[in-house]
Amino acid sequence: MKSKKLSEVIIKTFKSNGFVLSEPDVLLDSDYIIERSGEKFRSSMLTFDREDGKTMCLRPDLTVASCISFLQKRSSSKIYYSGQAYRRSGGKSANFINDQLGIEILGSKNQIQDDYKIISTILSSAKKIKRKKILIKIGDIGLFKSLINALDMPERWKLRFIRHFWRPSYFEELLKRLEKNTDIDAVTFDTDKKRFYEMKKKDQDKVVAGRSISEILKRFDKKIKDPRSFVDGKKIVKIIKSFLKINCKLSELDERLLDFAKKNNLKKNIFKDFKSILNLKKLNQDINFIANYGRDVEYYTGIVFEVFSGKKEIARGGRYDDLLKSLGAKKKIPAVGAAINLKNI
Amino acid sequence: MKDLITIGLPSKGRLKDEAILFFKDQGLKILQSEKERNYFGTIENKTNIKIIFLHAKEIIQRLGDGTLDAGISGLDLLRESEMNLQKKIVINKKLDFGNANLVVAVPDDWIDVQTIADLEEVAFDIRSKRNTRLRVATKYPNLTNNFLISKGVTQYKLISSLGATETYPFIGSSEIITDITSTGKTLEDNNLRILKDGLILKSTAYLFVAKKSLSIISRILF
Repeated sequence: MKSKKLSEVIIKTFKSNGFVLSEPDVLLDSDYIIERSGEKFRSSMLTFDREDGKTMCLRPDLTVASCISFLQKRSSSKIYYSGQAYRRSGGKSANFINDQLGIEILGSKNQIQDDYKIISTILSSAKKIKRKKILIKIGDIGLFKSLINALDMPERWKLRFIRHFWRPSYFEELLKRLEKNTDIDAVTFDTDKKRFYEMKKKDQDKVVAGRSISEILKRFDKKIKDPRSFVDGKKIVKIIKSFLKINCKLSELDERLLDFAKKNNLKKNIFKDFKSILNLKKLNQDINFIANYGRDVEYYTGIVFEVFSGKKEIARGGRYDDLLKSLGAKKKIPAVGAAINLKNI
Repeated sequence: MKDLITIGLPSKGRLKDEAILFFKDQGLKILQSEKERNYFGTIENKTNIKIIFLHAKEIIQRLGDGTLDAGISGLDLLRESEMNLQKKIVINKKLDFGNANLVVAVPDDWIDVQTIADLEEVAFDIRSKRNTRLRVATKYPNLTNNFLISKGVTQYKLISSLGATETYPFIGSSEIITDITSTGKTLEDNNLRILKDGLILKSTAYLFVAKKSLSIISRILF
């Protein structure tokens, strides 16, 4: 089939599953994207300077562009998109143009139902084109968070691991540090303690470089009370590493997690939040659960998946509950979505 | 064969005086124009060497575009410049003046922030509580970016500054800064403190040579 024909077949499936076309802007304010994606992303964008000094960029990604359009109330919440996104991705011969075809549920009210809807829609459209050896690989960042929160270590370490889960190399560094029990924050606080009491006497609402005195003192206090060295960093690293090695059929996951908890003397119920994944058994499909998964994109917060036909990845997606808020929404707007990889079809 | 070379020297302050002294120590006496504000100079008994006094940053640019054959400038300015430029410039000799460090500094009153790890936490705090990024004012965007990202700080935004960067946190233009400092006095006097592991680059003055001028320099100069 020609690629245009292919897209038509896929779009038809999207529509019949209730997804409505979203047509986001091609040009976006690049400050807005940097605010969301960070300075490192700057070199990936295709930008130009407008006469008034504003830097604009071609939309680097249709999920982000669709979210922006949704926040401007220009689209409904259950959408599909079909179009081009523009970004550089290393390498000299790299292609700037990515054809993207995908679906999103923005403002997802029912996590289990919506995760299922996205995966089943993607799966059925994929199957219309490639039937051979379909396999789904899934991970769940929520599970990792449950594990970390159940471990006996200082709060600050927990947050660090969760924040940096999507950056595997830095994550490894953190593990090494924990293993050797060398928290670089372990410095003496005596001199600062003196300043702490001085500052306590000041106006607590006074703001220094964007932070109030009370905010600064509160964090200082928390920091000295949080134990900086603790007994068994090694043991905890071992648990985290062995969790990340879990790789099994979805049908065996229940048992594997129970087994894992038992072996490591963890409470049985720490993984109670993976109903969304278990619900996928209904798909009647080969599904592999891989704990060490979905670690290349910062914005995923829950389930992450890829659909393979043989060795080729033909679609991927996941849940991203924080993205819309980071794009300026006043409150958290949960969302889940996926895109077809046209190049591999 | 071309046998005239052009050397760029810093046009101001101690860096200028030290650069002239360095040449004198090599037996090369620099003669400046009698007109006080003239930017050109010569070397005594060396008619084939032309001296131009330029801004230290300009010296890197002009070495890169081939206008200058050699020049004295800071390592910080070389490392900050574009990769394409750096490829065209060779480090010839480390000099014993112009010592300065590029550092990360925070308001002294932020007593809870002593290390980069603290900074990383505060940046995430700001991000999740206020939905904005920690703003870092700097004259060195490239070096700052590479450093912060390598240390796990990702939730920030750069604010480019041309001067008096030390004031930024106190006038609402940024929260923290990175800047060059030799004694730390300017930072201290402006109520800023260097983070314990906040050293980005140790810099001094260097003699740089344009790659394409390597042979002519070794023939004529040293």
